[in-house]
Amino acid sequence: MTLAGRRVVVTGGSRGIGRAVVLACAREGAAVAFNYASNEAAAAETASAARALGAAVCTGRADVADAAAVAAFFAQVRADLGGPADVLVNNAAVTHDALLMMTGDAAWNRVLDTNLTGAFLCTKIALRGMIGGHWGRIINVVSPAAFLGKEGAGAYAASKGGLVAMTKSLAREVARYGITVNAVSPGLVETGLIAGMAPEHRETLQRRIPLGRLATPEEVAAAVLYLASTGASYVTGTTLHVDGGLTML
Amino acid sequence: MDRSDVRAEVKKLLIKGLRLTVSAQEIVDEAPIFGQSSEGTGLGLDSIDALELVVLVEERFNVTIGDEDTGKRAFASVAALADFISEAPAA
Repeated sequence: MTLAGRRVVVTGGSRGIGRAVVLACAREGAAVAFNYASNEAAAAETASAARALGAAVCTGRADVADAAAVAAFFAQVRADLGGPADVLVNNAAVTHDALLMMTGDAAWNRVLDTNLTGAFLCTKIALRGMIGGHWGRIINVVSPAAFLGKEGAGAYAASKGGLVAMTKSLAREVARYGITVNAVSPGLVETGLIAGMAPEHRETLQRRIPLGRLATPEEVAAAVLYLASTGASYVTGTTLHVDGGLTML
Repeated sequence: MDRSDVRAEVKKLLIKGLRLTVSAQEIVDEAPIFGQSSEGTGLGLDSIDALELVVLVEERFNVTIGDEDTGKRAFASVAALADFISEAPAA
């Protein structure tokens, strides 16, 4: 098991990609913690599934954009799992569909606060334990929108672009402590968000993907697992594109 | 613990925690912890070393160095760090 003895924190871990990452890490022997914004039933179900895999689990309702809530959540993780996070997966994100000129200030701030500032706040706290232990893995979930842009999602694209830049800067800062910082960029993924999409729209999107289909959450989780593993010890500051060939930089 | 004891503890922490090859007697209380003074005194540590020192000081002395302004003040010298620790409220 590649993560035996490790403590993994996943933000936004109750559903979708976050849930798949939580379960993949649990399967690999990690103790797992995740926060969720509001869906307590989904969080309880994911926690139960992780426990069924033999993992110690810690969950907490916390808004990643709220510094006090983040501090309280990480204190809870330390107490419940017996130490600080070894691996942090910054996955929590929101989006807002609007052309940039028509994006309201509040919507812009909400997207940037959650997707970028949230990752910053969680990373700042997690780093202290990782520096103390001279080992750590930080994995930021970004998006092809960070590299290609996306009409109607300027705030989201800006937040993910910022997260890519933060990934590279931090990778340089903490490399000497044995901490790697990378990003995973999932393309279109089979999650609840996609399920409600009109079939013709979905087909149009699929035609743009060289592999011709959407990803499963488990395929994205596999990339996160790799970056969290000792096998990725010489990989830092990069983005692993798990998008069926959509981006190909 | 009085301030001279805190200074001695800080020096021990610097040497052990940051794996320095100097003795406590060689560390000048007023010399900068990071970089060098104009007189050439100082430990020659860089800003990335400061990250580990933040963690070590927070854990050993139960204080919080939460931002760069606090860090600059606290890490101006061994004497400044001892003063910061002595005056800071517990985290």
